[in-house]
Amino acid sequence: MTIVKKTLPYLLAVLASFIAAGIFITLMGFNPFKAFSTILFTSFRTPNGFIQTLLKFVPLVLLALAFTIPLTAGKFNIGGEGQMIAGGIGAAFVGIVFSSLPGYILLPLVILAGILAGAIWGLIPAWLLYKFNINEILTTVLLNFVALALIDYVATGPLRDPGAGHPTTVAIGKGGWLPLLVNNPPLHAGIIIAILVAAGIYVYTARTTGGYELIATGANPRTASIFGIKVRRMFVLSLVLAGALAGLSGAMEVASGSHRLIEGMQSNFLVLGLIIGLIAKGNNLAVPFVAFAIAVLEVGASAMQRTLMIPVEMVFIVEALILLFVLLSDVVRRK
Amino acid sequence: MDIAVDFLRLVLLSMVPFVLAGQGTMLGGRTGVFNVAQEGMMLVGASVGFLVSYYSGSIFLGMAVAMLSGALFGLALAYFTTTLKMDQFVIGLALFFIGIGVSTLLPKLLIGITLTPPLIRTLPNLAIPVLSKIPVLGPILFNHNILVYFSVLVSIGLWYFLYRTQKGLELRSVGEHPMTADSLGINTSSMRYWSTIIGGALIGLSGAYLPMVYSGTFTEGMVMGRGWLAIALTFFGGWSPIPILLGSLFFSAVEVLAFRVQVIGSFLPYQFLQMLPYLATILVMVFTFKRARVPRFLGNNYDREKRSV
Amino acid sequence: MVLSNQNILELTNVRKVFGQTVALDSVTFSLAKGEIHGLLGGNGAGKTTLMNILYGLYKKDAGEILLRGQKVNIQGPRDAIQHGIDMVHQHFLQIENFTVLENIILGTDIKHRYSMKTETEQAKIEELCKRFGLEVDIDAPMDSLTVGARQKVEILKALYRGVEILILDEPTTNLTPQEVDALFVSLRVMVDTGLSIVFITHKLREVLSVCDRITVLREGRNITTLDRKEASEEVFVRAMVGDNMDINNSIYFSTDVRKSYSRKIEEAPVFSLEGVQIITRDGIQRLKDINLVLHSGEIVGVAGVAGNGQRELAESIVGVTAVSAGRIVLDDTDITHITNQELFQMGISYIPEDRLHDGFLPKANVAQNLILGHHRNQPYSNGTFINWKTVFTETRKQISEYNIKTSGPEDVGGNLSGGNIQRVLIARAFSMPSKLMVAHNPTRGLDIPSMDFVYQKLLTRRVEGYATLLISEDLDELMRICDRIMVLYRGQILGTLLRPQFDKYTIGRLMSGIQEEQFSQEKETALS
Repeated sequence: MTIVKKTLPYLLAVLASFIAAGIFITLMGFNPFKAFSTILFTSFRTPNGFIQTLLKFVPLVLLALAFTIPLTAGKFNIGGEGQMIAGGIGAAFVGIVFSSLPGYILLPLVILAGILAGAIWGLIPAWLLYKFNINEILTTVLLNFVALALIDYVATGPLRDPGAGHPTTVAIGKGGWLPLLVNNPPLHAGIIIAILVAAGIYVYTARTTGGYELIATGANPRTASIFGIKVRRMFVLSLVLAGALAGLSGAMEVASGSHRLIEGMQSNFLVLGLIIGLIAKGNNLAVPFVAFAIAVLEVGASAMQRTLMIPVEMVFIVEALILLFVLLSDVVRRK
Repeated sequence: MDIAVDFLRLVLLSMVPFVLAGQGTMLGGRTGVFNVAQEGMMLVGASVGFLVSYYSGSIFLGMAVAMLSGALFGLALAYFTTTLKMDQFVIGLALFFIGIGVSTLLPKLLIGITLTPPLIRTLPNLAIPVLSKIPVLGPILFNHNILVYFSVLVSIGLWYFLYRTQKGLELRSVGEHPMTADSLGINTSSMRYWSTIIGGALIGLSGAYLPMVYSGTFTEGMVMGRGWLAIALTFFGGWSPIPILLGSLFFSAVEVLAFRVQVIGSFLPYQFLQMLPYLATILVMVFTFKRARVPRFLGNNYDREKRSV
Repeated sequence: MVLSNQNILELTNVRKVFGQTVALDSVTFSLAKGEIHGLLGGNGAGKTTLMNILYGLYKKDAGEILLRGQKVNIQGPRDAIQHGIDMVHQHFLQIENFTVLENIILGTDIKHRYSMKTETEQAKIEELCKRFGLEVDIDAPMDSLTVGARQKVEILKALYRGVEILILDEPTTNLTPQEVDALFVSLRVMVDTGLSIVFITHKLREVLSVCDRITVLREGRNITTLDRKEASEEVFVRAMVGDNMDINNSIYFSTDVRKSYSRKIEEAPVFSLEGVQIITRDGIQRLKDINLVLHSGEIVGVAGVAGNGQRELAESIVGVTAVSAGRIVLDDTDITHITNQELFQMGISYIPEDRLHDGFLPKANVAQNLILGHHRNQPYSNGTFINWKTVFTETRKQISEYNIKTSGPEDVGGNLSGGNIQRVLIARAFSMPSKLMVAHNPTRGLDIPSMDFVYQKLLTRRVEGYATLLISEDLDELMRICDRIMVLYRGQILGTLLRPQFDKYTIGRLMSGIQEEQFSQEKETALS
């Protein structure tokens, strides 16, 4: 009963945004039913579609958590993109420099380097917040642009693969590749890591004293600090943890697929991560489920662009509308 | 000497997006509405400003529609926050997302994907008679496109309005303590709506400046964080028109400097120069954020019937 | 009874509902021209809500407003002001970084509205200042003014708008007894020049001394309206609290004031402050050489006009604000530099004054609110994991004991009313035994039976031998239950009175900074 009550507004929001988008698609001269069936069912028609969805899910869930963990503490991390890129750069650097190391050393090294680099990228705004009380929203955003310039430098600089047309580094050592769970089409082990991380984050926030302090800090930092919680430390912790998760996703992008750092690897995961986190209303338990749904839409969107020539942005607008309607459903319930 | 003149001229030329977006943000903020959708709104302004200019052949119609698009976003922001009392930051982000989507969807639908992007004629310079003939100062100050003059006039106009008129006093009171304003019969909602709508129009126009003056075309993500920088600028300028105008000069100078050095070439890879505006902004925030004067009620929604406990 | 045709204002059958709670249920109220009409009741009785409806801030769900016999429709404050109605709110509605002048003229039509040359307006205000003897510097920024001066500005605002019906909401909060007397005198002057005044208060003695007629509200209903001369004190008391409360055993209304004072002073103190100073980063001195001792089983009160260092005193004890100099000792342990997390474990509990900002988590649920500060301790947690099952059983007990009106431990804090939030703070502070409790305005926002409940709890602590520091702006409250009262003025303790010496006007003089020889601190130290 309560589950129905809780998911009903979501379903209505999805329905409303699809109707709005359907009208728009019809006006553009396309068949909305064909478009929607492509968007919704591409993931489930073929094994390949499903595996594509799982591969999308990995960075999406990690970037969404990189947004919702600081949000639990009342802080906004809009810097997942920069943290992911930093993680990718760190992982690529280690993977290329130590490319001859065997897998049982190199893979953990690559992943750790990514986590560490992302965490450091998250530590910068955290430190500015801790030390100078500077609003984290702007610093995290601005650091994205710094990271964009940095990845351009790395992918066109000393580590560049001269054979590639697009700015890319050379491949990392074989030992740093994520093992495959399914060979054809390839599905790498990152999916397991992502699910474990999401579960761990849920247990941390919902069951532990540290998680309670994170929630209390987000609920009212002033009160929390009066009753003995070191809120500024919680801010730093949450932002660094977020950076680490985004860095992890960057590292896993590098350690899978074509096993190199490609400029543009960050895609639009940041914005999608924000949308997922906001649709989930910051609830860390809901994030993986929403992330999966968005992954389905994204895979469907690419298929729709390929087969029906409707730009992928259409689906992006649908996602933003879902968010808006989910938020509106709160207002309706309040009345 | 010539290099200096050229540099200063470019600083004035490049300050416009910062001035317009900064003043637009400031105006809404002065009634308590904290807009964070600038990046998206500027993208939409750039996109529709370009498209309308391209199809109509009139750059002024393009500007008008860009302002209209910004005003619509402002209206949406005002409606969701003031009437529906939804979280300003979250709504701002949602509008930012929609802005990203709409700004890329429209050109793709209308023009399609082409190898050679269509161009519009950029905004012509309007030399002010007599004044533009003054040596040194003339070319720096008085030989610019119309939006350079407009942005300065808007800043001065806003200052006069806020600090020298009754309506301006009332508007400021709404951003400081809306309950007080309300208790004295001031219509807080209408103040919030109008300031956000007009502010939105300025932000939309600031986005249109990019294709109309810099590139002649629209490219994805061409705002390059200027919307976010505008927020930092507004804090830097203490939410006050004249300091924001002066701050824009600084933000613009950094941008021009990074660009100039890139062109001339230096020992640093150009990517590190590209980082400069963002790093400089963070540095500026370290020194000015603590002292920044901010409207008391910034970012909050006022609900008359919510009982204060 | 005053005939209705003399009534300048009549409210009939007014109803107001907030969410599920009925705040006003068919309330009727009338105001005669030239009278001071007291609106009396405990917190949550609906007094302010009723007047906010008259002032146009709240929309009524039913009922009528008749002004000078005409039915009027008041949509907002603008309409109310046009009808000559003005309201001075308990928390002054002022813009702190505007000047006094700007605050007064805000929202009125200025003669030179496109240049803001305000000579005309200035002259008018100065004339009003003179006529009513309300001297303020009209060019001063609002935040530089004292509470008393701010109240004058509020009254000036109303006079400037040509007020005929003035509503004053708890106007004596934060005034010294002497200032209260002066206010009452000037209210009389205003009434004599033709104004009518509604005087909202929860203090029976105030209405009895200044009002012509009194209406009592309780739980959103009107209980009675009586002429001052017609009724006795007991009638009003019963009207305020209803039939269920045992008045004879209550502390709130206790007549046989406990005169006795156990001479604890000779015993060794449980807790002491020695020469404590707080100087802010800007060099402003907030606390100056505070010496204070508490003995077990003692309730020491701190009186003073708000903003004289009470908050800093409380926060320095609970470890929120670092002291600049001096020593704080609990049970022979120096706790001056110990973090507040450890202090809560050592047995200090705290009820902060600003419950919304300093004491409550509106976005968290009731259980999470109740365990705040205890969340690392048994039985709620083993230090790493929280045992939510125990938390829920324990908090359910607290909800019923402290009479918190909520749907349960999982209810979101933001759904609670002000009084219930206060009960959460009280439950949290009393739920674990503590050697020292710092309670800052603990009964603010509570109705009379709940206030009495808190007093009983505090006195139980006293009997059980625990120490309590009670900081309050309500002088009556302090005089009711404290063993000693210290008066704080500009960050300094100006004097300490023992229970037999308690006197409203003596304390009032100290509150306004007039130090008297026999209560000076030297005497106090000599005593101990």
